[in-house]
Amino acid sequence: MTPSRRTTLQWMIAAAAMPLARWASPASAAEGANAPPFDTVADWPGAPPPLVATKGYGRDPTLMEPKVVWPLTLTRAQRATVDLLGDMILPADDVSPGAGQLGVGAFIDEWISAPYPTQQGDRATILGGLDWLDRQSIAQHGKDFAALGAPIRGLLLDALCVAVPSGKLEMPVKFMDRLRHLFVLGFYTLPEGKKDMGHVGDQPTEGPYPGPSVEARTHLAALLAELKLGERTS
Amino acid sequence: MSLDPASAPADVIIVGSGAAGGIAAYSLTKAGLRCLMLEAGRDYDPQQEVNMLAPESDAPLRGSATPDKPFGYFDATVDGGWEVDGEPYTSTKGSGFRWWRPRMLGGRTNHWGRHVPRWGAYDFKPFSRDGLGVDWPIGYDDVAPFYDRVEKMIGVNGGPIGLENHPDSPADCLMPPPAPRVPELLLKATAESMGIPVRAAHTAVLTRDMPDAVAPRSACFNATPCTRGCTIGAMFQTTTSFLPMAKATGRLTVVTDAMVSRVLTNQAGRATGVEYVDRKTGVRHQVSARAVVLAGGTGETTRLLLNSGEAGRGLANSSGELGRNLTDSTGASFSAFIPGLADRPRYNEDGIGGQHVYIPFWLYEKQKRGELDFARGYHFEVWGRFGVPSANVLPRAWGADLKKAVRSASGATIGLSLRGEMIPNKDTYCEIDPGVRDRFGIPVLRFAFRFSRQEVNQVAHGRRIAHALFERMNGRILDDPSLPPEKIMAAGGEIIHELGTARMGADARTSVVDSYGRAWDVDNLVLMDGAIFASGAHKNPTLTILALALRASERLAARFKSGAFA
Repeated sequence: MTPSRRTTLQWMIAAAAMPLARWASPASAAEGANAPPFDTVADWPGAPPPLVATKGYGRDPTLMEPKVVWPLTLTRAQRATVDLLGDMILPADDVSPGAGQLGVGAFIDEWISAPYPTQQGDRATILGGLDWLDRQSIAQHGKDFAALGAPIRGLLLDALCVAVPSGKLEMPVKFMDRLRHLFVLGFYTLPEGKKDMGHVGDQPTEGPYPGPSVEARTHLAALLAELKLGERTS
Repeated sequence: MSLDPASAPADVIIVGSGAAGGIAAYSLTKAGLRCLMLEAGRDYDPQQEVNMLAPESDAPLRGSATPDKPFGYFDATVDGGWEVDGEPYTSTKGSGFRWWRPRMLGGRTNHWGRHVPRWGAYDFKPFSRDGLGVDWPIGYDDVAPFYDRVEKMIGVNGGPIGLENHPDSPADCLMPPPAPRVPELLLKATAESMGIPVRAAHTAVLTRDMPDAVAPRSACFNATPCTRGCTIGAMFQTTTSFLPMAKATGRLTVVTDAMVSRVLTNQAGRATGVEYVDRKTGVRHQVSARAVVLAGGTGETTRLLLNSGEAGRGLANSSGELGRNLTDSTGASFSAFIPGLADRPRYNEDGIGGQHVYIPFWLYEKQKRGELDFARGYHFEVWGRFGVPSANVLPRAWGADLKKAVRSASGATIGLSLRGEMIPNKDTYCEIDPGVRDRFGIPVLRFAFRFSRQEVNQVAHGRRIAHALFERMNGRILDDPSLPPEKIMAAGGEIIHELGTARMGADARTSVVDSYGRAWDVDNLVLMDGAIFASGAHKNPTLTILALALRASERLAARFKSGAFA
């Protein structure tokens, strides 16, 4: 099966499997700000304790009643930090709520608690990153990440968005990449996230598929003209 | 061991309930024959079990792929996949073949690509064209009438292609194709400006209702991923078409969880029936019939034959070809972020599942002139539409910038999946592993797999074309062009087009079956799945499996009528 025939589902599979390399050039790269804006970088913590053995949903789950069968494992404090990060990474605006507000933190918990190899790899990265954020905050400011003021927290996240992380920042940046990706996946697959993207679809449409709207065709025609590809739209 | 008291006497035992087994059951029961179908997987009813409309956010991990469900949580394949508990397979050192096995009624037709191109004249006579591999004992003209009928039976939408080696269907065979979407229209304009054709794909999804007294099927309502299966029957799967139709004749008995372990034969060298293991209880049963049809899938059919007959040699293997000539399609995926598609106006881009257009192979003339460094062809399947942008098109940003980037990037990636022909080679085959058995005590398959320079060069060519297309669209290419082609090719078996391990031929010395799938060595044993293919093609195989199985079934029924099995 088979791949190609991409559907929404397969988009997400691809997104979830996507390596974290090859990011688009972020603004921070242009500023050449690859050195961290602080003197001390905390050590990356050791591996988190192994997940208590648990089972996945198996090869034949009841698809009409989908459910998460493994226990969630974030502590209350970890979950609170994740929610806080969710509202920073995907904050509330006039289009949609923040990811923390929307409960996407529960999805992060579900993900890192799942007994599958990809998710277990992410678990080490995410739990390590949460721990590192506190270590870094304490080293710099003498208190946990959650206790910092918003501007200071923001500076810390900025430091984790550098284009070419080096030395002790490699793992923290990997953590931020992975967390950001999981928030994007968790948020934009929710009805509120789809609405945020202006997604139209997921509704049965009887009769022949109508194809692109007039606006969509007009946009395409302009693009074809710009690319000197003529105005073929059918 | 015991005789199964539940089984009524059958004319034909059919092993497998997928494309080949399904059409065989339909054709043979309509011809008046009593059939016993044995399916290794569990019973399955799409009407009851397919969750068509639930959002992905209802699924664990948002429906992401896991080892339990390799194509995502809601994918129709249940109880099977690359791995099946207690049913291992092995690979020779250094080769990594992956063997997909659905364990469910309807087999792979419950989840499949539904891309159903016709094969053309070159595809059946490849040796005559380039001196590689072997010719089939039949040509396009032998298969064409069956293509016509199968397209109408399963319901295919599409349009004319009008290209060399891409035969068109007669006027009444196809339903109208769906309108192309914006990324597909951009691809079409781009490709055509470069002399590369783009055509409506042929897809086994109904775009018009298909009435039937027993198994009526409805036109696609353009909303849900076909890979979940289809409760309205819009996409072809045997569980909503051939199987209920065959059952309605009163002449089909289906036994699920029946893992067939070997074909039974008598002193005269005829098949007398099969032995199977009840997967739930482990109890062995023997059932008999006047003819046996094997349609369990390329690997399973060949495994069965290798485990039957003479120890170490197998059944129907006087040619020694059983297990040889294994191929899979080549596969590679390319994608690009197209800035011109960013922030484009939203509309309903769902359509029927999968691509509405594709790029058929167009370089036969050039190839004939010796201007390509590979034999045979490939095509591109097209993807990309509104959805969650993948990580590699988003900036390393957080906050308002990230939200803005996601909105902008949704629907701005175009992907091309290459599917190409693999030529059989002596290093690619399957055989019985002498040391490993499954949980039923049945010896398992061991695979050896290797692509040749032909396939590697073909994929390298396809990548150059895909990247040239993306560049013409001012796209930012997302896959790494510096990787050697060997590193970007899907592993053997991953495209799930394995074919050819019991190939047909004109000659009993060099092939396993004749052109009707009849084993040269066993007169009443007929193979109907991908195992009998004499070669692959770049074109997806299911339509051809169906056409050949229909042809073989009608031949078998005619032989019954003429008293061959009295």
